[in-house]
Amino acid sequence: MTPSLIQRLDGWGRTFSPFAICLLLILISLAPLRVPILTTASPLLPLMAVYHFGLFRPTLLPHWLVLLLGLLIDLLAGSPVGVNAVVLLMVRHFVEANQRFLVDKPFMVIWFGYALASAGAVAGTWALICFLLWAPIDPRPAIFQYLIALAFYPLAGWVFGRSQAKTRAA
Amino acid sequence: MADRMKVGQLAVSLKGLAQRFAFGLLVLTAFAVMVIGKADTVIIERVRSAVVDIAAPVLAVVSRPVQTVNDAVAEVEDLIAMREELTRLREENARLLSWQNVAQRLEAENKALRSFFAFSSGPQATFITARVVGDAGSAFVRSMLLNAGARQGVRNGQAVMTADGLAGRITEVGETSARVLLINDINSRIPVLVERTRERAVLAGDNSRQARLTLMPPGMTVEAGDRVVTSGHGGTYPAGLPVGVVASVSEKAVRIEPLVDWNRLEFVRVVDFGIAGILPPQPSLVPLPRRGAQAPLP
Repeated sequence: MTPSLIQRLDGWGRTFSPFAICLLLILISLAPLRVPILTTASPLLPLMAVYHFGLFRPTLLPHWLVLLLGLLIDLLAGSPVGVNAVVLLMVRHFVEANQRFLVDKPFMVIWFGYALASAGAVAGTWALICFLLWAPIDPRPAIFQYLIALAFYPLAGWVFGRSQAKTRAA
Repeated sequence: MADRMKVGQLAVSLKGLAQRFAFGLLVLTAFAVMVIGKADTVIIERVRSAVVDIAAPVLAVVSRPVQTVNDAVAEVEDLIAMREELTRLREENARLLSWQNVAQRLEAENKALRSFFAFSSGPQATFITARVVGDAGSAFVRSMLLNAGARQGVRNGQAVMTADGLAGRITEVGETSARVLLINDINSRIPVLVERTRERAVLAGDNSRQARLTLMPPGMTVEAGDRVVTSGHGGTYPAGLPVGVVASVSEKAVRIEPLVDWNRLEFVRVVDFGIAGILPPQPSLVPLPRRGAQAPLP
C-alpha cells in the first residue's frame, strides 16, 4: 500500500522538524527582542536545540547539517565565519560520544550534560574569537550569558520535548 | 569481472573511510572556512550580504510579533514609571525652554556672523530611515541588521544615528539589507573629543553595554558627566555628533555610556554626510540611484 499524501507530509514534517526548529531558533536569536532576561539567553538557543536533537534525534540532525547551521549563524550574526560551525560540531560530537550516559536518564542528568556541553561551547567560542581578533575579550558577559541560558534550558528542553512528543504521536 | 569486484571493494572501503572520518573532515572544513574568512574578507562579505539579503525579509516578518511583545513590555514599564517620568519631563521642559531662548539668540547671532564673513557651510547631509530587523547582541558581537541596502542608497561607512546620538556605522551592504557595527562592538574605534575640554581620544568598544576611552593624551582632565562627541578626525564621521556621556573615571579606564538607548532601537537613520571617509567602497556593489525617503537634516 502506498502512503497517502498526508502520511508522506507527516513523514517529511518529522524528518525536517529538528532542522526547522534549529532554523527558527537562529532567526529568533537574531530578532530584535527587548525582553531583558530572554535577550541575554537567546543567542544560545540554537546550541540548546543542537544538544537536544543531537541527543534524542541524532539521525535527523547529522553532522553536515550542524555544520551548515553553524555557518548560517556566523554569516547572519556577523561573527567570524566558522566559529559557530566548529563549536556546534563539537557539541554534536560530545552528545554522540556520551549518548549512552544521557539518554533515558532523569532530567537533572540531561541538564548536567547540557551544562558541560554549553560550558565547553561558550569557552571555545570565546577562545576562538579572541584568537581570530587577536584581542582579549572580557569573558564576564559570556559567563553571564552561559548562566542565564543554563537556567533557561529546562523550559527550552520541555518545549523541544513537546514538539517531539507531538511528532511521535502523529 | 575480477576488476569490477576490485572497484566495488575499493568503493566500499572508501565509503567506510569517509564515514569514519566524516566528523574530522567537517571540522576541517569549518576551520578552512575560518581561515578563508580571515584571509579573504571580500568573498566572505559577499556571501554574508547575499545570505542576509535572503534572511532580512524573513527576519522582518519574525520581528513583527517580537515588536508586539516589546511594545507590551515597554508599555508596562512606562505605566510603572509614569509618575516619575512626568515630574522629570516637566523639569526637562522648563530647562529646554530656557535653552530654546539661548539657541534662538545664538542662531540669529550665527547668521549675522556668517553673512559678515561670507562663510560657506559643508555639504548637506541626507538620510535614509531604516527598520532594525536583526540584532546580534551576543557576548561576542554587537551588530544590527537593517532592512535598507544599496538599492535604498545605503553605502559602506555611513553613520547610523538615532534621535539620541550615534549608534554605529555601516559595515556590510547588500541589495536590500545592511549591517551596522555598533559603537560598543570590540571592532569599533571612533575618534572623539570631550566637549567641555576639547581633548581628543578614541572611543573603543569592548562588547559590553558601555564603551571606553583609549589613546587619551597624558593628564586628561575628564570628569563623570562630560559629553563626548565625534571629533571628525580620520574622516569617517563629521565632527560634533553626540556619542555618549562619561559614566565613570578610574585609574584603569574611562567608561562612556552611549546616548543611544539599546533597548529601544526600532528605527534608525543612516546618514550620508558626503564624506568619502577612510573606507573604500565595496567593489561588489555599484551604488544605484536613490529611491528611499530622503530629506536634508534639520
